Amino acid sequence: MYRWKAAVVVAAILVAACLALRAQQSSSAASQGPAKGSMEQTHSIQLPDNAGEILPGPHMDTYSKDCLICHSARYVSMQPGFSKEVWQSEVKKMVNAYGAAIPESDQVLIVEYLVAVRGPQRAGSAATPAK
Amino acid sequence: MDTILAKDVMASTRRAFLSRLVSVGGIAVASAVFGRGFDLPVGGALDAGAPQLARYPEKKDLILLTDRPPQLETPLEYFRTDLTPNDAFFVRWHLSGIPTTIDLKTFRLEVSGHVAKPLSLSLSDLQAKFEPVSIVALNQCSGNFRGWFDPRVPGGQWGAGAMGNARWKGVRLKDVLDAAAVQPGAVQVGFRGLDEPALKSTPPFQKSLELDHARDGEVMIAYEMNGEPLPMLNGFPVRLVVPGWYATYWVKSLSAITVLDQPLKTFWMDKAYRIPDNPQANEEPEHLSSVTVPINVMAVHSIFVRPAPQQQLRTGQSYQLEGVATDGGSGIRRVELSQDGGKSWNDATLGNDLGKYSWRRWTAEWKPPAKGTYRLMVRATTNSGETQAVSQWNRSGYQRDVIEHVDVVVV
Repeated sequence: MYRWKAAVVVAAILVAACLALRAQQSSSAASQGPAKGSMEQTHSIQLPDNAGEILPGPHMDTYSKDCLICHSARYVSMQPGFSKEVWQSEVKKMVNAYGAAIPESDQVLIVEYLVAVRGPQRAGSAATPAK
Repeated sequence: MDTILAKDVMASTRRAFLSRLVSVGGIAVASAVFGRGFDLPVGGALDAGAPQLARYPEKKDLILLTDRPPQLETPLEYFRTDLTPNDAFFVRWHLSGIPTTIDLKTFRLEVSGHVAKPLSLSLSDLQAKFEPVSIVALNQCSGNFRGWFDPRVPGGQWGAGAMGNARWKGVRLKDVLDAAAVQPGAVQVGFRGLDEPALKSTPPFQKSLELDHARDGEVMIAYEMNGEPLPMLNGFPVRLVVPGWYATYWVKSLSAITVLDQPLKTFWMDKAYRIPDNPQANEEPEHLSSVTVPINVMAVHSIFVRPAPQQQLRTGQSYQLEGVATDGGSGIRRVELSQDGGKSWNDATLGNDLGKYSWRRWTAEWKPPAKGTYRLMVRATTNSGETQAVSQWNRSGYQRDVIEHVDVVVV
C-alpha cells in the first residue's frame, strides 16, 4: 500500500516536472522573438589563424618572445614608420601601462628591432614624431 | 585645374590631400607645391598596398588590421545603406582573451557594488523582466580615421571603417540600476566584459560613466542588433550602448556592472582614451596638451562613400555622390559639398532621418563640367550649429572632425 502511494507520487512529480519544463521552454522561446540565434544555449565561434608574417629584423627573437604573448605581429606590421623616440615610448607603454614583463636589456633590443622594421625611413612615416 | 588653390585651403587640407592623392595629376601637384615626392598614401590597411581582407565567423570579408586580438574594418561599400549589416560591422577588441564560447545557461550579468539589491541576470531575465527599448545609434571607434592623421600616430591604423550604424534593442540601464536599488552616495557606474588579458599584470578592460549619465534612460544593455542577436565579435550576448558617445564605452560581452561611490581608477579611464581638453581635441606635436580628459561625445564629421579615391568619372555624365554624416546626438542639419577645393559650397540632399543618434546619409547629383582633376569636399553641420574643423591633430588620432575630401579624375 505504502509502496503504491509512493509510486503515484513519484509519477505525478515526474509529469509535473515535464510539463513545467515544456512550459518554460516555450515561454523562453516566445520571449526571444526573432532573436533565433540566442535560443541556442551555447554559442561558439572558432577564430581563424591570420597571424601573418613576423617582419624579419635584428633581435626578432627577443621581439617574438617578449611582445607576441599579448598581441600578434600585425600590431607592428600595420604601423607606418616611426622615430626611435616614438618606439621607445611605445615599448615603455607596454611595460608601464600594460604590465609587460620585459627586462630593460630586452627593451633596448626591441626598440632596435622596431626602428629597423618600422623606422622613420619607411614611406608614410611621421614627419614629426609624436611624444 | 586645382593647381592654384587658395593658400589657406591648401594648408587646411594638406594632410588629407597628401594622404589620399590618387591621380597622376595630383602627384605632380603635390611635388610642385610641397616639394615632396609621392611618399604616401596612408590610411587604414592601405600602407601595405591593397587592403588585406579576411573572413571571420559571422562576418563577411572585412579589412584585416590585426588578428590577435582581432581588429577588422568595414569596407566603405557597406556604408551605402542606413543600417550597417551585422556581418559587415567592424570589430575591435583590446585584449587577446576574447570570448569565443558563451553558454547562456551559465552566463550572468552581475550588478553589484553600491546597491541595496545586487542582481545576477541571465539573458532571459533581461528579456523577460525589463521593458524592451530600441534605438538607432552610430557606433564609432575613438580612433576611426587614425590612419588619416598627419603626422602619423601609433595605434590601430584605421581608415573610415571603424564605425557602423545599427538598430539596437535591449533594456534601459536605468531600469536595471533601479531594480538593483542604487544607494545614496553613488557617483559612477563601472562596466566590465568577458575579455581577459593574456597577462595577470595587464589591467582588465573596464570603463565607467557618471551615475547621471548611466541613469539617463538612453544608455542601454543591448541584446539585439538589427533584429538579430549580436555577433560574437560584436559582444554577444549583451553589450552596452551609449548613444552619441564613442565606442570605447560600449563594453562588449558585458558581464559586470558595478555601482561606485568613488570614481573608477583604471588605466582605461585615467591613461588611455584621453583627448586634449578643448572642443576639437587639438594639440601640436611639439606642444602636447598638458590637460587631457576622457574621450566622450562624438564629433561632427562627414565622409564620401562614392566616389572612391582613384575613381574616374566621365565628363558630361551625371554621377551620384554619396556619403554619411555623423555626430554625437544633436543630429545632422546640413551637409555641403564643394567641387572647387572649398571656395564655394552647395547643399547635399539628406537621406532618411533615423533619429538623432543615427548617422545621416547624404547624396548629391554632380555633373563634372569639364575634364580635369577635381577636389570634392564635404562638411556637415549639426542641429546645434557645430561644424567641422579645417585642421586637427592629436597624439592618439582620436575624434577626427576634419573636413574631408576626395580627388577624382574626370576624363
